[in-house]
Amino acid sequence: MMTTVVLAAMLVVVWLAATYRENGSRAILLPDQVMTLFPDPKPLTAFAFTDHENRAFDLSRLKGKWSFLFFGYTHCPDICPTTLATLARAHENIVKSTVGAKDVQFVFISVDPNRDTAGKLGQYVSYFDATFLGVTGDNAQLGKLAGQLGAAYEVAITPGMENYPVYHTAAVFLVDPRARYHAVFAPPLDAEGISRRFNVLRELEGPKAT
Amino acid sequence: MRWRHPVFVGLILALTPIAAATEEAGVSARDAWLRETPPGVAVMAGYMLLQNNTSRPQVLVAARSSGFETVVIHRTIVKGGMIGMGHAPQIELLPNARLLFAPGGHHLMLLNPKRALRAGDRVDIHLEFRGGLVLPVAFEVRK
Repeated sequence: MMTTVVLAAMLVVVWLAATYRENGSRAILLPDQVMTLFPDPKPLTAFAFTDHENRAFDLSRLKGKWSFLFFGYTHCPDICPTTLATLARAHENIVKSTVGAKDVQFVFISVDPNRDTAGKLGQYVSYFDATFLGVTGDNAQLGKLAGQLGAAYEVAITPGMENYPVYHTAAVFLVDPRARYHAVFAPPLDAEGISRRFNVLRELEGPKAT
Repeated sequence: MRWRHPVFVGLILALTPIAAATEEAGVSARDAWLRETPPGVAVMAGYMLLQNNTSRPQVLVAARSSGFETVVIHRTIVKGGMIGMGHAPQIELLPNARLLFAPGGHHLMLLNPKRALRAGDRVDIHLEFRGGLVLPVAFEVRK
């Protein structure tokens, strides 16, 4: 009799804990100003970039990992370094999570291939985080991926002008391990806001995302 | 009389130049910093908190530094869902108001540093206001 009561009480506690946890997770993932989550993630189609080690970076490189994508250029003094420093801290937080960061990659996509060579990109991204990837491609290829993500950019190359203006979206795009556009983080970005939501999303998606 | 006490006189004498300097300065800056850049990058951004201590508007019209080839007053702007940078030819500080230069907003864009700057280094930048007021500000390089 006593055993049954104790067992029942334990089950209630477990159930309560599970419910609380699930509600907690849901609450965190309710639509908010930081992360927009797509209920029906869109599969991305082919594009061809080159990474900072001169290896091909195409759709296959987005498979099997969660990818955080950010568009920018290395001559950008304000938003790009601010965002990459924030993403480096978010990455650190994800590394410290129970699941770790083995299934996560951060990709800086330069929209300024004219100035951002592979060598420059490598120096640039590894300053923020040794695991970050720098990639770029020609205008047509950049347009292919940017278009699918709704990531607008504009490079106003002016002959003879050393510092021409570049406009780009400040959002960070999250692509899931099936290479589907899954979520987007809107600025102003903060590391904890990103890593906390990502950890919950990854846990909820679990194996079905891979 | 009591106020003729040497300590009091000394205090008044000591405080006078400070008060005069503040009134003369008109504008003060604090928490001035430059973001350290990755190797090979010749563009930096500077941030600070500017305070107008006067009861008149003060207009920042230029910034100069012997540590850089060019310094431009900039503002990160939003254009059709994209962000970019715009040159801000002048920035007005309202009377007795503060203006924050921070990531994603107003900043100084510094081009081609004369030497590589690393976290902990200091660089002087002169802020020039309309009417001839020049405010030297020491910026600290931070990660």
